[in-house]
Amino acid sequence: MSSHDVMPEMSLYQPVRVEDAIGIANQFADRGWLVGGGQDTYGWLKDRAKSADALIDLKGIESMRGVKETADGIEIGALVTLTEITKDPIIAQRYPLLAQAAGRVASPQIRNVGTIAGNVSQDVRCWYYRRGLNCYRAGGNLCYADTPEGMNREHAIFNASRCVAVTPSDTGPALVALEAQMVINNASGQRVVSAEEFFVGPNLDIQNTTVLRPGDILTAVRIPSKWANAQFYFEKVADRNAWDFALVSLSAVMRVNNGVIEDSRIVAGAVQATPRRLTEVEQAVRGKARNDSTADSIGDLASRTANPLNYNHFKMPLMDNLVKRALRGQA
Amino acid sequence: MDIIRYRNDVWGEEVILGVSWDLLWVIAITAFLLLAAHAIFMAALAKKKAMPSAAGKRVHRHDAIDRAFHWIMAGSVLILIFTGIAPIIGIRFSWLNIHWIAGLVLSFVCIFHTIRALFWQDFKSMLMGPSDFKEPFDESIKPGKYSFEQKGMHWAMTVLVVAVIATGITLLLHIDTPWWDRPSVDDEGTLGIWFLLHGTATLGLIAFTAIHIYFALRPEKRFYTRSMVKGWISEDEFKENHDTNKWKQD
Repeated sequence: MSSHDVMPEMSLYQPVRVEDAIGIANQFADRGWLVGGGQDTYGWLKDRAKSADALIDLKGIESMRGVKETADGIEIGALVTLTEITKDPIIAQRYPLLAQAAGRVASPQIRNVGTIAGNVSQDVRCWYYRRGLNCYRAGGNLCYADTPEGMNREHAIFNASRCVAVTPSDTGPALVALEAQMVINNASGQRVVSAEEFFVGPNLDIQNTTVLRPGDILTAVRIPSKWANAQFYFEKVADRNAWDFALVSLSAVMRVNNGVIEDSRIVAGAVQATPRRLTEVEQAVRGKARNDSTADSIGDLASRTANPLNYNHFKMPLMDNLVKRALRGQA
Repeated sequence: MDIIRYRNDVWGEEVILGVSWDLLWVIAITAFLLLAAHAIFMAALAKKKAMPSAAGKRVHRHDAIDRAFHWIMAGSVLILIFTGIAPIIGIRFSWLNIHWIAGLVLSFVCIFHTIRALFWQDFKSMLMGPSDFKEPFDESIKPGKYSFEQKGMHWAMTVLVVAVIATGITLLLHIDTPWWDRPSVDDEGTLGIWFLLHGTATLGLIAFTAIHIYFALRPEKRFYTRSMVKGWISEDEFKENHDTNKWKQD
């Protein structure tokens, strides 16, 4: 695959209203490419691994910016950058889980331009796929990563279905834990889907990582007040502390009363193609104290049904240990 | 419109990816038009004949085990077609495991049917000879147990089902299952040819399944469908549609 310093030739549209962007997206359908911060986009286009006829730059749409308080929580505009999320006082105070997750994405430079919508909508980072090979996810007949010789250290340990790539999003698991709602606009109107349903695995749709379809624009992310000021835990383990994708990440929200976990949502990232809710762990910890004893007795549940590939067995104890640390309440 | 889809393999060489799914719409529209034309012709132009009575003495046509085979096979074929086609036309669900499990069910049932037909049934009654080809053109010639159309449908379905099973099992060997892990693929072009054959056989199976269902529902043929549920046809139906000398009772 050749790499290019320049962008391929294509039309550039810079709408300033959501309605106009939807019209353009609808017009070009799967030949149009929505871009916000562009941190996923430009790699694809400059590597010539994917192409588009039109680039639809959303950055001029003011209504998709800013963090607003709503009757039931907050609404984050799709174009809010990851740096803005880490610095927003409301998010920092009520939902520090999301601020921490956003603060661990890539590098400061990337966080300065990368948006929340881009972080949840970005494509998988399997290098075979990114290199432009015609694997299952690219519409082909096979997976290069899931073979005896395949380099699959970073790949899935759960729910692989032909494709074994994992979600690269750090904020996705946090949003699933916070029961966020994704606001999607298209020519037919607006629909709101839960963060849990927003992400789709290869068993359902092998060529897309989200429910977004050509003509759809993710315009905002709503976080309900349900988990505001709860106890949170976020940890991301990567090969490098900066500018790297998670080997495993863990986002947890817990409602704790007198030291007892009354309710929780615990979500792992980078273990399958979508953020993975650890519902067995959530059920097992309900009514239990948040302490070492609970952590030791329940931590191994997380990876119990894992099906690792040749080079990623290490993700199982890594994931279990992150769950234990979350239940202990210490990093 | 494409007939075959191509892609570049890992070395950048163009190889076959599979059959073009544009053909799915060609098959669907063609089958619909032909069957609609037949229905209109039968309703408007064909000679109306009084239908024989279903009452009276019964003639045994299918054993319970053969009826069970037919419906299990029918169910698995319909599941295979639906799970194979639905993702292509945009219906999203977790289809892969259902697809290959239905394929294994179909394979086992077909093996069972083949053994039973060869050793415990009147296999010759399904064979086609030169005299069978006169049947559609001469109303005075009545068939034995199976008509020319029924034999033709049986053998067409046999070829197509064997083709989807053989290619399907080959493809099954290339995915993860509870019994084995996915192997490396040395030659993507060969894999593409298997996909091409599987897809082509599937398109044929869709066409013939549509034809089979259509005729099973036609008023003048519905007694055969009843016999595949209850096992019998009436003596009137037997005498009206079959040569009593050619159909040897089991």
